[in-house]
Amino acid sequence: MTDLAISTPAVRQRGSEWQRIWNVVRLHFVNIGTTIAVPSMIMGLIFLANLAIWAIIRASLAPGDRTNFSEGMQWSGSTFYIFVYMLVVAVQAISATFPFALGLSTTRRDYYLGTAASFILLSAGYAVALTLLSLLEEATNGWGLGGRMFVTNYFSDGPVLERFFVFFAVMLFFFFVGSIFASVWMRWRAYGVIVLGVLLAALLLGAMLLIGVTGSWGAVGDWLVSNRALGVAWWSLLPTALSAVAGFFLLRRVTPRN
Amino acid sequence: MTRSPVIETEGLTRRFGDLTAVDDVTFSVQEHSIVGLLGRNGAGKTTVMQLLTGQDFATSGEIRIFGESPVENASVLSRLSFIKESQRYPEDFKPKHVFKAAPWFFEHWNEEFAQELIEEFRLPLNRRIKKLSRGQLSAVGVIVGLAARAPLTFFDEPYLGLDAVARQSFYDHLLADYARHPRTIVLSTHLIDEVSDLLEHVLVIDDGRIIIDQDAESLRGSVTTVAGPRHAVERFVEHREVLASDRLGGLATATLEALTPAERREAADAGLELGGVSLQQLIVRRTRAHASEFGAES
Repeated sequence: MTDLAISTPAVRQRGSEWQRIWNVVRLHFVNIGTTIAVPSMIMGLIFLANLAIWAIIRASLAPGDRTNFSEGMQWSGSTFYIFVYMLVVAVQAISATFPFALGLSTTRRDYYLGTAASFILLSAGYAVALTLLSLLEEATNGWGLGGRMFVTNYFSDGPVLERFFVFFAVMLFFFFVGSIFASVWMRWRAYGVIVLGVLLAALLLGAMLLIGVTGSWGAVGDWLVSNRALGVAWWSLLPTALSAVAGFFLLRRVTPRN
Repeated sequence: MTRSPVIETEGLTRRFGDLTAVDDVTFSVQEHSIVGLLGRNGAGKTTVMQLLTGQDFATSGEIRIFGESPVENASVLSRLSFIKESQRYPEDFKPKHVFKAAPWFFEHWNEEFAQELIEEFRLPLNRRIKKLSRGQLSAVGVIVGLAARAPLTFFDEPYLGLDAVARQSFYDHLLADYARHPRTIVLSTHLIDEVSDLLEHVLVIDDGRIIIDQDAESLRGSVTTVAGPRHAVERFVEHREVLASDRLGGLATATLEALTPAERREAADAGLELGGVSLQQLIVRRTRAHASEFGAES
């Protein structure tokens, strides 16, 4: 009788650890509204608005001034918004699926690893899309209007693979900084997020102050120029990895609220 | 045949600041049984279940589910499902997304059974979760909990907003499926009379403490009511402990601890009628008695 009782818990578990993590990835892609549809739509709208503005400006310029116009947009920051928005996507994705995943008997560990894998996949997907758009922008001479949105000086005007990697790294950075905000939000709600925001702002301002006091802005500029976007992207993996680890340990003690 | 305990707790305690939500709780639940976890709102039912399912962390004490701690333990968690009234779903999800994802997480998921239940509860699969009525939202949880066929299933007030017909249908399916696929089910509810026929064992929690831990059969037999003319009732209960009493004109009823056969004869000879008490009444009375004990202490 006891043998029977003891053998029951030894029933085959569903899949391996990899399978469980993969299940969480699939959970993130069951409904792609938050993670793909909305960001793409926002980017599409920004793009359309840009197209309209380019068309208006072009129509009101003399043909000779048009080259100047195109050069003036080499530093376009239109895509920057989409990177920062990934921070919001990360917070939304985690706050929506975490209580649900725990309701489906997932461990926090498997949940976080699956979520991190999803963020990496999303970053790669977005990086491919942005790279293709930048190539298309060049091929069509700025969408036929001389406009610039996806190809910007310094940031995304290198070879194809370099562009991809820079896009990828920036996406990862914002996703994983987002994972810290998400974990803090899940654990301490608004109060925690405010404290975290103040801490990060203090850190950033402190760094800027230090650079200013030591008169190192020139050195920072040199560093940015000599490393080029590619080198900076490589360096960004360090704070990205630190954020990922911090997000993990913060989330491991979260209790789903009602 | 001895059944092995699926749930064991020892001195389980959970404090939130000054509030002790679960206070030194020790109990065990045997394999293949339906257990009622009963108690008033705020008594600590949900917190106990959150602790047992690894969703919350104990302040002190021990929990063993299938012999192991459930906290961050995939081999334990993969064998249990926890359906709670307050379960949050991703807002932009529709029920079809829930039913698409749930089978990935439950080894014993039965798709046919899920489809049958979806039809029976008339759940619209294509409506956004936030547009569902309270009852439809409850139906989502009930269907996941039943179709998952997890060896250990927790239902925390799963019926909120369900009408009487749908609730009955839930109880019927629960019992029928339990008979075909025996498992351990912990059902928390305050609609005690509705589920009293389902329960094999009863745990009553009040103010964070377990005050009743008894099998349902013996619990029902543990009290008797005597009814009749007021004088006869008063004379009969004079030297006995009265759990509750009620008077209406010249008639009275009193609830007493279980009577011996001799006592029952004595009551009959005195012209009194003997009766049982519903599980709900019994628990209400015991809970009140417990509360007044505490009142007396402080």
